[in-house]
Amino acid sequence: MDYDALGAELRKLRENVTGVTDTVVAASDGIPIIADVAKNVEPVHISALAAADLGIARQAAEVIGLGALSQTVVFGSQGYMAVYAVGSMSLMVVLGDKGLNLGRLLHESRPVIARVGSILTP
Amino acid sequence: MESPGSPGAKELLPHSGSAEAQVVAAAAVQDGAFAIAAGAVERCVLGESIDVPSLFVPDGADPDLLLTETARRLDAVASLAFPLSPYRDRVVPARELESSTLTAKRREIIEHATGRRSARDIAFAVGRGLYPVTVEISRMLGEELLEIAPPETSFSFSQWGLGSLLPRVEPDRPS
Repeated sequence: MDYDALGAELRKLRENVTGVTDTVVAASDGIPIIADVAKNVEPVHISALAAADLGIARQAAEVIGLGALSQTVVFGSQGYMAVYAVGSMSLMVVLGDKGLNLGRLLHESRPVIARVGSILTP
Repeated sequence: MESPGSPGAKELLPHSGSAEAQVVAAAAVQDGAFAIAAGAVERCVLGESIDVPSLFVPDGADPDLLLTETARRLDAVASLAFPLSPYRDRVVPARELESSTLTAKRREIIEHATGRRSARDIAFAVGRGLYPVTVEISRMLGEELLEIAPPETSFSFSQWGLGSLLPRVEPDRPS
């Protein structure tokens, strides 16, 4: 696993999108792979929650006939949690503060997901 | 005024004491103009928005006044003893500080200066304008209360040594 390449992708995303506070890449069963988070954020918990979140969203997409799930976003009054499917085996979590420009994040994260996917499954 | 670069009126209002909503909204517009000017504009799109902010300046803002004040603020930031980028520079306390010697506003900045946050991030976290927070942080850098965080503090990666996404335990197969 090329952790340096993964780290570089997470760093670029946080530098390029104002308001991104923390990032985690995890396996789809909720085991963290790499995380860049503040001290008060526990990557193991975030990964587990994100895996559950993505699982429910994926099932909803399937039952309703929305096709393959790409992402799901939690909107809170103080910020956001975006969870992206990275292939079928992994996921990426992006936390943002309330000033985050979500449109910008979704735009910037698309190529990041593709690159993270190819790093995880070379 | 809503912008990812500076807290909007909604964010500023709860922290502004008894100030009137319209005064806060006008301050948010001025702060937003500073946020745009202090950053880089990659492209500009004019669109119709159906979202009306819950707090807005009913008579609009005078563009001349807005530009004059923004130019003054840019000059003020550039001429500070410790000029800093409100978006790129992330700050951390320079040393152990006796918090009783600090003003409440400075204490709040110190509390949020984790080394991962820029002036913009701290402005959102404390619900104050980008410009006043940038100026205050610059002064605190000058007084050696804060310092620019090293990259390993701003971006701190932990990893779990997962070798592969493939099944971690070979499943038992019936023979």
